Amino acid sequence: MFAARLSANQAVIPMPEIHVVQRDNRHLYENYFEPYFRLRHDIYVKQRKWMALDRPDGLEKDQFDTEDAVYLFCLDGGQLIGAMRALPTLQPTLMSDIFPYLNIRGPIRRRDVFELSRIFVIPERRGEHAGPRIEMLLLTAITEYGISIGLTGFSIVLESWWLPRFERIGWKARPLGMPQTIDGMSVLAVLVDCDETTWKSLCNQIGLRRPTLTWRGLADVNRQALPDISVPVPPTAQPAR
Amino acid sequence: MQGLEAYWGRRALDFVDAIEASTTTACVVSQFEKMIGDLGFHAYIMAGIPTPGESLAQLTIANGWPAEWFEMYNRENFCAVDPVPRHCFNTLNPFEWKDAPYDHEHDVAAHNVMTRARDFRFYEGFCVPIHYDESTGAISIAGERPYLDAETKSALHLMSVFTHSRLRALTRPAPVMPGRRLTEIEAEVLRWAARGKTAWETGQILGISERNVRWHLEETQRKLMTNNKTATVAVAIVNREILI
Repeated sequence: MFAARLSANQAVIPMPEIHVVQRDNRHLYENYFEPYFRLRHDIYVKQRKWMALDRPDGLEKDQFDTEDAVYLFCLDGGQLIGAMRALPTLQPTLMSDIFPYLNIRGPIRRRDVFELSRIFVIPERRGEHAGPRIEMLLLTAITEYGISIGLTGFSIVLESWWLPRFERIGWKARPLGMPQTIDGMSVLAVLVDCDETTWKSLCNQIGLRRPTLTWRGLADVNRQALPDISVPVPPTAQPAR
Repeated sequence: MQGLEAYWGRRALDFVDAIEASTTTACVVSQFEKMIGDLGFHAYIMAGIPTPGESLAQLTIANGWPAEWFEMYNRENFCAVDPVPRHCFNTLNPFEWKDAPYDHEHDVAAHNVMTRARDFRFYEGFCVPIHYDESTGAISIAGERPYLDAETKSALHLMSVFTHSRLRALTRPAPVMPGRRLTEIEAEVLRWAARGKTAWETGQILGISERNVRWHLEETQRKLMTNNKTATVAVAIVNREILI
C-alpha cells in the first residue's frame, strides 16, 4: 500500500540520474564533455573568479582531467545539472601538486582514497525544495561509488564554510592542516570517511530507497555489494484503519 | 615564520583529535576553554543567530559568556543591533570584531553594544560564522589582549569549528528508528507540510486524495499529541520523526 504511493511520488518528481563516467565508458558520454568543461568555466572562472583557471577557449580543464579521472554527471532529462570529479590519490592531485601546504599530516597516496574536486550544481538547480537537493544527491552518490569500488575515504580541498554542512549531514571530516585564505576565501584540506553507515544515513536523509548510480557500459567493473537501505517499518506503526 | 605556523598547525590538529576522542560535552568544553584561555580569550559563545521570534538562549550550543552579559544581551535584545552577528550574514570567512562594519556616528544602538561589551573586558574579539541552508550561527570569542596574528586566527578558526561540530554531534539524539511513531506516509505528508504545502498540493505531489492527506495529518496530530499542523511539524522535527 505505502509502496504504491511512494512510487506514485517518484512518478511525479523524477529523480535526476547520476552517471559514473570513467575511462571504460567515456566514449558513451563524449557529447557531455564540452558542455561539462564549459559549465566549469562559467562557475569557477566567471562566477567564482578563480582566474588562474582561465583559458581562452572558455573551457575549464586542467592537468588532472586525465583518463584516470572519474566523473559523476548528474543528468536531468538529458541536461547536465551538476557534477563532481574523483582522482585516485596514487596519481597527482590538487592536494599533492597545488596545495601541498594545506596538508601537514603527511601526503595521502592510498589505493583506498580518492580525491574529490570540482563539485558543483548549476545555479538554477541550487536550493530546490522539490525532491532531494542536488548537492546532497551528489555526495550520496559518491559515497555509493566509494563503497562499490572499496574506498574508505575521500580527500578534499574545500572552502571552510562547508565544514558545518558536512557535520550536519553526518559526513565525518578530519582536518589535514590549517585553513588558509586563498583568493579571499578560507580553504582547508580534509579527509572524510566513506563507509556504509555514512551512506545509509545520507540515503535516509534524502529519502533514497535504492542505490542511485547508473553504471552504463561498466559491466566489467568489479563492484562490492551495497548494504540494504530499504526503510524498516516503524515498530510502533498503527495498523491502517 | 614557517616554524610558528607549523607549531600552531600541529597544536590545532592535536586539539581536534583530542576533542573527537572526547565523549562528553563537559570534556570538550573544558578543553576548548583551556585552549582559548592560553590564547588570551576569557569569554565565548556558540549559538544560532536568532531571527525575529526566536531567543538567543534557545539557540545556544555553548555559553562561555559572563552570566551578567548574557542576561543583559538577551534582555536588551542586543542581537538585533550587534554588528558582529549582523556581519555573519555577509561573509563566509571568520573576522575580527573590529572588522564588523557599522556606522560609528549614526548607528547608536550598534555602538552601544560594542561599548557595553568593553565593560566586560571584551576589548577584542574573533567571530567564525556558521552557515547552513536555512539558518546562520556563529562562534564568537572575546578577550582583553588576545593573540590575533594570522597563524593564531587560522588555528582558532579550525579549533572553533570542530568544537562546535563535536558539541552538536554529542548533543544530537541518535537518528534511531525504534523511537519513531509515525508511519512513512505520515512522515512524508508532514515533510511536505513543513515545506509549506497545502493538503491539496501534497495530495497532488504524492498522488493521493486531499482527504487522505488530511487523514494522515490528523493521525500525526493524534500520535504526537498536538493540536495543529504547525505544532505537529515542530514536534516531529524536534523528535527527529522527520528531517528537512
